Amino acid sequence: MWARIINTLLGVWLMAAPAVLGSTDAIRTNEWIVGPLAVSSAIIAVAEVTRPVRWVNTALGLWLVVAPWVLGADWAAFVNSTVVGLFLIGCSLVRGRLRHRMGGGWAALWSPNTSD
Amino acid sequence: MTPPGWSYNPSDWSQRLPLIGLAVVGFGIAGYLTLYQLGVFTTVWDPFFSGGSERILHSCLSRVLPIPDAALGALGYLLDAVSGAVGGRMRWRTMPWVVILFGVAIGPLGLVSVLLVIVQPVLFDAWCTLCLASAFLSVVLIGPAMDEVLASLQHLKREAVRGQSWWIVFWGTAAGAQGEPRYGADGSRFAVRN
Repeated sequence: MWARIINTLLGVWLMAAPAVLGSTDAIRTNEWIVGPLAVSSAIIAVAEVTRPVRWVNTALGLWLVVAPWVLGADWAAFVNSTVVGLFLIGCSLVRGRLRHRMGGGWAALWSPNTSD
Repeated sequence: MTPPGWSYNPSDWSQRLPLIGLAVVGFGIAGYLTLYQLGVFTTVWDPFFSGGSERILHSCLSRVLPIPDAALGALGYLLDAVSGAVGGRMRWRTMPWVVILFGVAIGPLGLVSVLLVIVQPVLFDAWCTLCLASAFLSVVLIGPAMDEVLASLQHLKREAVRGQSWWIVFWGTAAGAQGEPRYGADGSRFAVRN
């Protein structure tokens, strides 16, 4: 749960960062897009049935690390994107507790039915 | 009753009532924003971004459709609440179509909300607090709603493997009840009834 909370807060920070850091252009637009996506993925992944959605934040985090090189950024935006990206990846790798059984989950939909 | 292999029943009222409640709150927010867009209110409440809400709510994007876009949000929440409320504790089994409708109402509409959040700063260089609150609510609804959908989909697959027409099972219990196996509380099957 805490990993999802941290990633939610990181996403919110990304939305506010351009105003705080004075970022411009592509890197600013990038944070305005990645921010809400990160927040949404983290919130959706709180539920056990949609826990795998946390991997979306792994991908977003990787993009955030690469983005300053691709889009160009001033020093502050560069550090911000890299650090936030790394934390986003790190927390997304934390699966969290699975307390419920759900009939085999989504995988049961395409695995062959065994005994029944 | 609990779907086979599940440790809880996703169609239980204790699971669904909070989601219906959130959808009602969302309807309230979207309704308020609709009234502002229609001119019933001349100002809109925004404690953080002065001028931001006005810009977003009167933007060209908000006027693309014949009805104000907040009204669409309100309708979405209404569909969420109604499709969440219809049906009893076994609806994952007795009316999969309602559960799927519920999932369709919550999922894609939630994702459209996220899109609109992105559009706020990118296209209009502004933020709207209540729009953000509404989007947040839409997203919060997604995760908890999907377990029922999963249970229904698993049920459809089980019945299809048994040779039943998934189309008939999809639409409800009367047609699908013939020869349905009975499940114990632990998910074990006993006595197929014809």
